[in-house]
Amino acid sequence: MLPLLSIATFLPILGGLVLMALPDRSARVTHGVSIGVTGLTFLITLAIWARGIVPGGFAQIEEISWIPAIGAAYRLGLDGLSLPLVLLTSLLFLLSAIYSARVTERAATYVVLMLMLETASLGTFMALDGLLFYIFFEVSLVGMYFMIAGWGYEDRQRAALMFFLYTLLGSLPLLLAILGLYLSSGSFDMRVWIDAPPLTGIAAMLALIAMLFTFAVKIPAFPVHTWLPAAHVQAPTAGSVILAGVMLKFGTYGLIRFALQMTPEAFTRAGVVILVFGVVSAIYGAFAALAQSDLKKMIAYTSVNHMGYVVMGVAVAALATDPAMRVVALDGATLQMISHGIVTGALFFLVGMLQDRAHVRDMGDFGGLLGQVPWLGWAFILSAFASLGLPGLAHFPAEFQVFLATLNAQPWAVVAILAIVVTAGLYLRSVAAVFLGELNQKWAAMPDLDRREMLVIVPLLILTILIGVAPAWLLNMIHTTMASLSF
Amino acid sequence: MIFLAFTILSPLLAGLTILVLRRASEALGLAGAALGLVGALGLLATAGSGDVQAVLTGLPDMPLRLIATPLTAVLALLVATVAGFVLTYATGYMAKDPEKPRFFGTLLLFVTAMQGLVLAGDWIMLLAAWEMIGFASYLLIGFWYRRDGVASAATRAFLYTRSADLGLYLGAFLLIGVAGTSEISATLATTGTPALIAGLLLLVAAMGKSAQVPLQDWLQRAMAGPTPVSALLHSATLVAAGAILLIRVAPMLPGGALLAIGIVGGVTAVVAGLIALAERDLKRLLAASTSSQYGLMLVAVGAGAPVAALLHLIAHAAIKSSLFLGAGVFQHDRDSTTMDAVAGAGRARPGIFAGFAIAALALAGIPPLAGFFSKDAIIAAALTSPSAAWLLPLTLAGTVLTGAYMGRALRVLWHGDPGAKPGTIPLMATGMAGLVALAVVLGATFGPLEQMLNAEMPEFGLAVPALGLAAALSGLALGWLVPVTGLLRGLLPWAERGFVVAGGMDALMVRPALAIAAGCERLERRLYDGVLALGRASLSLGQSARRADRDAIDAAIFGLVDRTVMLGARARRLQSGFIHRELAITTIGIAVIIVALFAAPYLV
Repeated sequence: MLPLLSIATFLPILGGLVLMALPDRSARVTHGVSIGVTGLTFLITLAIWARGIVPGGFAQIEEISWIPAIGAAYRLGLDGLSLPLVLLTSLLFLLSAIYSARVTERAATYVVLMLMLETASLGTFMALDGLLFYIFFEVSLVGMYFMIAGWGYEDRQRAALMFFLYTLLGSLPLLLAILGLYLSSGSFDMRVWIDAPPLTGIAAMLALIAMLFTFAVKIPAFPVHTWLPAAHVQAPTAGSVILAGVMLKFGTYGLIRFALQMTPEAFTRAGVVILVFGVVSAIYGAFAALAQSDLKKMIAYTSVNHMGYVVMGVAVAALATDPAMRVVALDGATLQMISHGIVTGALFFLVGMLQDRAHVRDMGDFGGLLGQVPWLGWAFILSAFASLGLPGLAHFPAEFQVFLATLNAQPWAVVAILAIVVTAGLYLRSVAAVFLGELNQKWAAMPDLDRREMLVIVPLLILTILIGVAPAWLLNMIHTTMASLSF
Repeated sequence: MIFLAFTILSPLLAGLTILVLRRASEALGLAGAALGLVGALGLLATAGSGDVQAVLTGLPDMPLRLIATPLTAVLALLVATVAGFVLTYATGYMAKDPEKPRFFGTLLLFVTAMQGLVLAGDWIMLLAAWEMIGFASYLLIGFWYRRDGVASAATRAFLYTRSADLGLYLGAFLLIGVAGTSEISATLATTGTPALIAGLLLLVAAMGKSAQVPLQDWLQRAMAGPTPVSALLHSATLVAAGAILLIRVAPMLPGGALLAIGIVGGVTAVVAGLIALAERDLKRLLAASTSSQYGLMLVAVGAGAPVAALLHLIAHAAIKSSLFLGAGVFQHDRDSTTMDAVAGAGRARPGIFAGFAIAALALAGIPPLAGFFSKDAIIAAALTSPSAAWLLPLTLAGTVLTGAYMGRALRVLWHGDPGAKPGTIPLMATGMAGLVALAVVLGATFGPLEQMLNAEMPEFGLAVPALGLAAALSGLALGWLVPVTGLLRGLLPWAERGFVVAGGMDALMVRPALAIAAGCERLERRLYDGVLALGRASLSLGQSARRADRDAIDAAIFGLVDRTVMLGARARRLQSGFIHRELAITTIGIAVIIVALFAAPYLV
């Protein structure tokens, strides 16, 4: 058996190293390597998918001893929570590589950074060792910092620094929690921590608080979300896509994998507080997005809203007494992560394409573009309606499950459903401002999507519809694990 | 099964094919509609001898279901029929539009969603279809997106209905949670408080979709779309969704919910009737009339006679689509639908005007046209309901108003300058003629229909028909003879503004939402500044640390260095250069460390 998980994880960074060793690092060769490596990685993750997962634990485990003295080892594995995220990661990196093929400024460095980020992201989702997880988790920060600082827009230095400090300081408490789990169990094996949560009582609560702080910054939840719009606005398009599509999921993944699974008792006790943060984030994110006229910033804030639903789903799962509703909530929360990655990824790509053409992003600067750039326009309309939760598109099955469980477990929290009207309002307003009405003559020569851009956007649109119409292929994978999750 | 597939998949596949191929839209569209009609006929034929069901994979433990009972099969047939005629008309109406494929494709997707809603057997399917209808009507209302005001009309239609849809979401969540299944028929066994709460929540959703007071405003603005769209939206589809929802859940509704539904419907029948009477635009008059007729249907549901609502829904579908298609012809001729512009347009086209007039009389409730029978059923239901004291006066007032605004419309179309003779319009006339014929004969099917649904209306001798006819005739006479200023007097300016209270929905919902958004933005700035200030504080801390470095630590270190140099000079004496001496010192050092290490556990 080939160790596919390790190959998928380290293939990107190896590709990056090979690229650095190449004598010819022209943009053409560089992007060729980048697309080739991310494409191959994507295919490998498909093979991993084909090998499948098992209910009630991790599958496809790869283990090598590393620091036996402290019980840390190189351990990778998958379940129904991480496999969909791995597939999402490899897909978004491939599409970002294709989209970025027009980057010519220090192309080789850019590509190496992206490949390093992919290794870190895949490693974060597949690591089954606390120490290993933390290393991957932190390395991703470095990659994103340089990405924003090096290839971002006007105010990129400050945004990059803010992102870095915020998430770095944010992740220190997680280290403490990991050390706490280690000291009380004598191992860094995450499976040990999950099967028999080592911490109890006040220690568990402290560890939970530490973890929640880290993941709240990453998710991001109100009020520690302020780095997100700043980072998104300044990040290059592919950076935004990876940041929103992949890296925000570190937070929600950690929320389930660490906070819920490793300190279940404390999580249930703190459940209502966590739910409040989820509800506030969902509503606040929607209203803050409504106040924006910068398209990119608006989409960034809707991420706060959508990730708020994920937090709600996880908290409701902990609080629900009916086991069926627990599974519904967790299924919904996990599916929401994937849907958000695909839909928001598509939206950031589309806004990036709009900005490539117009060099502005304010809604008011456009108008009537639908007739001028129909592909771009319809793709945006479809993604916008997906993002506002239209049935038949990706977010609906996820949000339906989260709200269904919420109403039946904690009826008050369902006030967050107001946010779906607010997001509908803000997306319709942006569609009307940018694409409907009389064509703004400034853009009378704007070209529609070219072949490369189609290649990036069409797969995401297909997935948006596929998940919306027939979510079973994805939900069954998630459901297998969630139905057997004990916490 | 096969008929279910035909009913839903033929419009879907036809619509998608049109959107992909971008050619032959008329032929494909008509073929899709025809096959859908065949499917619906088949459903009606088979549903009589037992329900037809299809179970599809949906969410885990919550499969999607389509179900054809006699009720849903009748509704499916209605949708397919009206859609077929409207499409025929549209082939003429849209003949010159360069973006025909988009129009026909979206229209067929809309029909698909409506069939999905009608045939939905579980709440998820119903919710999904419900919202897809909203989306499709957004696209259709916004079809001429370049024109002024179209974008805002489409946006408004979607937002109004979406806000009300929260009621459907919450109601469905509640019912699924209580019953433990998402199957609609199983959840209808819910009783007690959950049933009341769910009933009221579903009423909110129905008010949004069926444009009931106070959520009626979007429907009149939705006239920005092409006329065939209005004809479809206002008859058997979009607007019908609300009434259909209530008819379907009627067996579950407790008394409190029924009363609320009846009152909302009765008030809408009157208020929207007044708005229609005061309207200065023919299409907007028809739109307000739609709200008022759906109000009458809600009265029937509230009176505990959903079958009366169903009959009126069927009659109204044929009537209202005829009226809109007629108005579309006049619009074609005069390039506008304001009352001034269409004055006399009926006289220029006697054929179309005759159709329009028959439909208008049918809506007013003149025998033997379809509206007469359905309106009688509603009056009878209101009369026998426990809340007759509320419902009957509202129903009769609504009926009088129906006659009045239709009488007024007929008068405007007939009086005035007919102008030059317009050209022939065979396709549009065919589509309209079919629907007018339905408006005439549908009443004959009501008896067998009631039998099929096992819900026969009680007989009332002559009292009810006489009451209904008197109301209809007096309404028509008032509308034809008395100018509207005389009819409404002081109410007129208020009715012309659509009875907007306190600035309407814009002031009550949109502005507060924007204010909250602005508040969030201010908070956001403050949070951002706070973080930056924190950053700056640590930066200045760093700078003072650097100053401390330079002044204190550097000085200390340089001092240390100086002293170390002196110390070194002294230490030189220790380093004698003899190997054994240095070895001894090293050994001693290591020994000290080892002792310290071993001793550590005892010391701590």
